[in-house]
Amino acid sequence: MNSDSLTFIFLNACIMNNFVLSMFLGICPFIGMQGNLKTAVRMGMTVTFVMVIASICATAVNLLLAYLHLEYLRLICFVCVIAGAVQLVEMLLKKKSPALHGALGIYLPLIATNSAILALALFQSLNQYSFIQGLAYALGAGAGFSLVLVIIAGLRERLALPGAPDVGRSAALSLIVAGILSLAFMGFAGVGY
Amino acid sequence: MSTVTNTAAAPYSLATLLNGMWKENPGLVIALGMCPTLAVTNSFVNALTMGLATLFVLVVSSAVVSLLRSFVPTQVHLVTHLVIIATLVTIVDIAIGAISPQVYRALGVFIQLIVVNCIILGHAQGYASKSTVYRSALNASGTGLGFTLALLCLGGVREVLGTGEFMGAPLFGERFEPWAVMALPPGGFFVLGGWLLAISWWKRRTGKKSAGVEQKQAA
Amino acid sequence: MSANPHILELRTSPHVHGPNSVQTIMSNVMFALLPIAAFAVFLFGISALALICTTTTVCVVTESLVCKLSKKESTLGDYSAAITGLLLALTLPPGMPLWMAAVGSVVSVCVGKALFGGLGQNAFNPVLVGLAFIHAAFPIEVSSWTLPLAEGRFTSFMGTTLTVPFLSPAAFDGITGATPLALQKFEHVTTGLGELFLGTTAGCTGETSDALILLCGAYLIARKFINWRIPASTLGSAFLTSLVFYAADPEKYPSPFFTLFAGGLILGAIFLASDMVTSPVTPLGMWVYGGLIGFLTVIIRLFSGQLEGVMYAILLGNAVSPIIDSLTQPRIFGARRAKAKL
Repeated sequence: MNSDSLTFIFLNACIMNNFVLSMFLGICPFIGMQGNLKTAVRMGMTVTFVMVIASICATAVNLLLAYLHLEYLRLICFVCVIAGAVQLVEMLLKKKSPALHGALGIYLPLIATNSAILALALFQSLNQYSFIQGLAYALGAGAGFSLVLVIIAGLRERLALPGAPDVGRSAALSLIVAGILSLAFMGFAGVGY
Repeated sequence: MSTVTNTAAAPYSLATLLNGMWKENPGLVIALGMCPTLAVTNSFVNALTMGLATLFVLVVSSAVVSLLRSFVPTQVHLVTHLVIIATLVTIVDIAIGAISPQVYRALGVFIQLIVVNCIILGHAQGYASKSTVYRSALNASGTGLGFTLALLCLGGVREVLGTGEFMGAPLFGERFEPWAVMALPPGGFFVLGGWLLAISWWKRRTGKKSAGVEQKQAA
Repeated sequence: MSANPHILELRTSPHVHGPNSVQTIMSNVMFALLPIAAFAVFLFGISALALICTTTTVCVVTESLVCKLSKKESTLGDYSAAITGLLLALTLPPGMPLWMAAVGSVVSVCVGKALFGGLGQNAFNPVLVGLAFIHAAFPIEVSSWTLPLAEGRFTSFMGTTLTVPFLSPAAFDGITGATPLALQKFEHVTTGLGELFLGTTAGCTGETSDALILLCGAYLIARKFINWRIPASTLGSAFLTSLVFYAADPEKYPSPFFTLFAGGLILGAIFLASDMVTSPVTPLGMWVYGGLIGFLTVIIRLFSGQLEGVMYAILLGNAVSPIIDSLTQPRIFGARRAKAKL
């Protein structure tokens, strides 16, 4: 598989180099999250949505900074533009689509400063992806993030059953579970080479 | 007025520092800001660099935020804080690149990700924007040192087990079989999980002991 | 029931218990594994025997220590620790250094089971947790196989078996041999089906003889100790997935029969995937679960850098089984289907 092909970019971000399991990005929400499948699905959708926005912003910022020769301002611009864009989108959603806002809204401000989002923008510029490739990367990363979030939520619903030791409700077990998942995802290492 | 705050601040100092370092240790106990923690803690040097970088950003951003706290209107708090932190991180990023290109390559994007470390923004928003420069910088140093300590705990264990070396020097002789998994992502999860378990076990034990002593005293 | 006839004994459901206790099930699984272990010792000699003894002992000892430390009643009586050890040995290569196998056993029992709260609450199959840990920690040793029926296998250990703890093996044996999967993947040499079926090939200690595993599995299924749906769906799905690729390009991809009989697919489908604790409970869920495992196994074997995908596939299946369960829950009789709202 060509490493520039959209399928590879998508799969790479989703499975082989999963943001959560191999790069530890955006762990805070899933450690803090109480086990609930519905919340996880919504959260995953929101993250994917914000990632797409961030990807578009990153492409625009990169173009602008390259034009102005101000590449060293990239980080500051990313942070501000992404936070601003997410807030704009939130206001827009509130006005135009209250239903969607009800589903995703509460997580939006929280996610705007999530490390996975900024990392997406940074990796995208590091790999010099085009606009379309960036979108594939964002969708893949979002899908992978949601996948892990949903799996962990499902497992936590089981782990929170009465009878499980106190450890079962702590962050430590979440981490161990993530570690085992990360071991399992190693099965996909080397796909596409 | 000033004497009152001074006397209040004096016993505050060491307790504040220690509180941030151990009791509310950000990396291990609150388990916050782990995103950058785990990814680059596969060696001691990486962990140290990352910890010091975070410490610097944390302390300076706290001081600056605290200095500016009466000039910045509440509505633009978040954005101002983000800009301050991002500026400092950019400085650190460029500095590490100049000092040690090797470490810079190993840490990669993760230095820049210090921006979104929950601890730094949380500290700026929750503490520094409400207290004096001295106090917030002191508290930030405690938190930052604690964070560095936690990173070193992780990086040390992962490097020793994962490569059989400590800071590049072989520890167990040539034929030691390294546990490759410890340097890989799953190892990061396992080691952090293990530390958290150990700490909660230790705290529960000491908690029980002190409770037992109190009961005896009451009897 | 009670000593005082005037006291009414009240109990919560379930009131009717099946005849199978954990102990009966586990001891039968144990008996079903013994012939496989015996055949492994015949193929690979005393190294295999030492491996089996080590993992089983370490698992049992760890379990009893864990019970003591957490001040719980000893759970050794349910044989689950012994089975974990036995299965772990059967899924490792016969020449595995014993200390590495012991590390894997400790991880199996501590991380895979005790941390979750013991048998019945573990989210992942403990055997596979230990195995995956070994695969990630010691990748070279775990992929060095030995040819079966070597001369002198009953009188001397393989060179790697007796490695000093925490050191790497001095030298790998001269008689190492690639497994059928490796031969197929790297050299495009397909091993004959007869050989695969009988099990006289290189491979993990207990995975080689498909005939024997199927026989033992059939016994467990006939006595309803494992649910037939899971092995059936796993193997069926692996066969179909492999058939699709084979039909597309028979030169490049192995035949579906090869997929089925090479490697540890059959052992995994019968003894590892069907673990009651970590698999779905609804009939439909079992089909979905098995189907997923079979599909992922073939995908990992064909497209990733790993030779064998069964272990990873079953772990992933374990991970999603709570979700499969909650999605395939049968409707309560008379209740309206709630609209799926996300």
